[in-house]
Amino acid sequence: MREQLRICHLYPDLLNLYGDRGNLQALLRRAVLRGIDCRIEPVTIGEHFDPDRYDLIFLGGGQDAEQNILREDFVSLKGEAVKYAVEADKVFLCICGGYQMMGTEYIEHDGTHLECLGAINVRTVGKKIRYIGDTVYETELVPDKPLLYGFENHSGRTYLGDGVKPLAKVVSGAGNNGEDQTEGAIYRNVYCTYSHGSFLPKNPQMTDFLLQRALEVQKGAPVTLDYLDTIDEDFARETIQTCKKT
Amino acid sequence: MNFRAAVAVRSARTVTAILRLFRRGATTLPGRVAIRICPDIIRQLADGETMITVTGTNGKTTTTHMISEMLENRGFTVITNVSGANLATGLASTLIEGLRIRKNARSSGKTVVHVLETDEAAFSKTAGSLMPRVAVVTNLFRDQLDRYGELSHTQAFLSRGLDEAADARILLNADDSLVASLAKGRENRVIFFGMDEAAMTRNTVTKAGTTGLGATTSDASYCQFCQTKYEYNARSFGHLGDFFCPSCGFSRTRPAFSVSYSEDNGEEGELSLSDVGFPVTLRYQEEEARIPLPIPGLHNFYNTLSAVAAVTLLGEILPGESKLSFSDAAASVSAVKPAFGRLEKIPVGDKSVCLLLVKNPVGLERALSFVSQAGDADGMYLLLNSNDADGKDISWIWDVDFESRAYPDKIFVSGERYGDMYLRLAYAGIDRDRITACPMELCGDLVDQALSSCGEGKCLYILPNYTAMLALREILVKRYGMKPFWK
Repeated sequence: MREQLRICHLYPDLLNLYGDRGNLQALLRRAVLRGIDCRIEPVTIGEHFDPDRYDLIFLGGGQDAEQNILREDFVSLKGEAVKYAVEADKVFLCICGGYQMMGTEYIEHDGTHLECLGAINVRTVGKKIRYIGDTVYETELVPDKPLLYGFENHSGRTYLGDGVKPLAKVVSGAGNNGEDQTEGAIYRNVYCTYSHGSFLPKNPQMTDFLLQRALEVQKGAPVTLDYLDTIDEDFARETIQTCKKT
Repeated sequence: MNFRAAVAVRSARTVTAILRLFRRGATTLPGRVAIRICPDIIRQLADGETMITVTGTNGKTTTTHMISEMLENRGFTVITNVSGANLATGLASTLIEGLRIRKNARSSGKTVVHVLETDEAAFSKTAGSLMPRVAVVTNLFRDQLDRYGELSHTQAFLSRGLDEAADARILLNADDSLVASLAKGRENRVIFFGMDEAAMTRNTVTKAGTTGLGATTSDASYCQFCQTKYEYNARSFGHLGDFFCPSCGFSRTRPAFSVSYSEDNGEEGELSLSDVGFPVTLRYQEEEARIPLPIPGLHNFYNTLSAVAAVTLLGEILPGESKLSFSDAAASVSAVKPAFGRLEKIPVGDKSVCLLLVKNPVGLERALSFVSQAGDADGMYLLLNSNDADGKDISWIWDVDFESRAYPDKIFVSGERYGDMYLRLAYAGIDRDRITACPMELCGDLVDQALSSCGEGKCLYILPNYTAMLALREILVKRYGMKPFWK
């Protein structure tokens, strides 16, 4: 029987900043090319989120004004279901604003406290200066330990609390806070990063890792994905190395 | 003009002369020097002049250019800024450059109008000095967020600028909720333009995906007054359409100026949206004008309409002006030729190249739609750079729906981020054998290659972002003898 994978895209009409859609395309493509029946379902404000229905939940980044529109819905209406999914080991990919909102709190640069879900033990402090630019990370997470390439654009500084590990170590760029060389966060199967947009397309090993974890959790047993080349992705990665500026 | 301003003007002219000596374009540096010497220079030079400003995310250059050509056709002397010199420095340069033109025109009894493309942030700073009589706001889309910040900030800039421009009649895009909401509190100064509601339903609807991945990303899904999700009776493109908020009642206003597809297609029945001369009908009050679209593409419905509206309003404002009625304006717009890099078609031997500048997701989406409908397309060439002027963040290419269209068989890719663009195309399901990709240093050679594989009478469509276009332009000037952009 064909394997099935169901992805939930939370708040696609609000959390869709610069290229978040690319991460879903990457998951979809590398699943479909392996013959997996992969579906993406949008769930937005006011709609019911059924955590048992999904193998992978994607939460992107948004503009501040848009994030504030959904904050209450996320924390109050869907909060318990999201926390349940986290503790049930569902796979999450959370980017930038989505990452911050999964944490315990967000303090804006003027001291305003913004409510967050508290599904993972990280906190974020907003600053005026933004970190903007290409990034490179090292991670032990995926086989062969390839470098991960991304682009960050955030004013929040995120600090990891107990029980949470970084997703990667910063090689270039700012990462979580520009201080401790950590980038992103891992808690159970929740994977968070500040790299938005073309993060997964340029890091196919990471895409495959998430697909594999999602299938493993679904089956409750180890899974090996069919081999799939990375010719196109490698070409893009090589050109980043050669055209690297400042 | 006070003494300080006079010194500023002299200095700017010296700078211009030096730049010209070295065959460099003098679009911003003279203005920068002048502002340094006399910070108030824009106000002093604009005082008493008739100004039209055009701001918004997309369509600024084309609309400004259309208004300028129409006014020139009607016998006016027009002072306008060139290609993208739309910050305070560029505006100051343009005003200084215009002083002599003004003098000459007045001595021969001609009326002078300034038509100024104004960057959104610069609009908030300069609108009070320019004091336009007509202020056009084209649309608001996400655009280089790493440079400009969030859309709500851009909207705030426009709002401040419109307050400063207290004498202006304001032309707003009715179909863009982010622009239409700027009418609040300024109702008596606002005139709307937009697409006819019935015409919207004829717009190409993107095929629905089976995978659940939304086709495109909307920039304004929720009402900015009450955060309820908008509903639409009909859509135009992007977030433009006949929107309404089911909760607070904020909704599209039926526009005074409207555009629709011409019902009677007549002899032009064979024309596609990507052809010059596609027939459209413009309406204002009881009047109606059927015209061939001077620059093709659905987005140019809006640009053409807003240009005609701006000229018509100017005619209503200027005392004793009889040459600028709605029908005069509509008649003169059809003769307009494309602006720099905006659907510019240049013949090369028995073929042609067509440049479509693409700077942001909706711009690229429109350009792709255009190429996929162009009957003469034989080759598409995408160039992507990530310099400061382009925005460092190129991940927006993933927001664009490449998937639901058919393209010319051969696709070429260059620019500093050619790998990223290549991957985007590959992920859109385009076979890698169809794509030729090369580094920016070789982008000129790739033009040669693309042209040699382009059939007789066919066109190579080139879609560069900003700095890629400037670089490519220089190469085209050298290799194919095109004229430099600063003339």
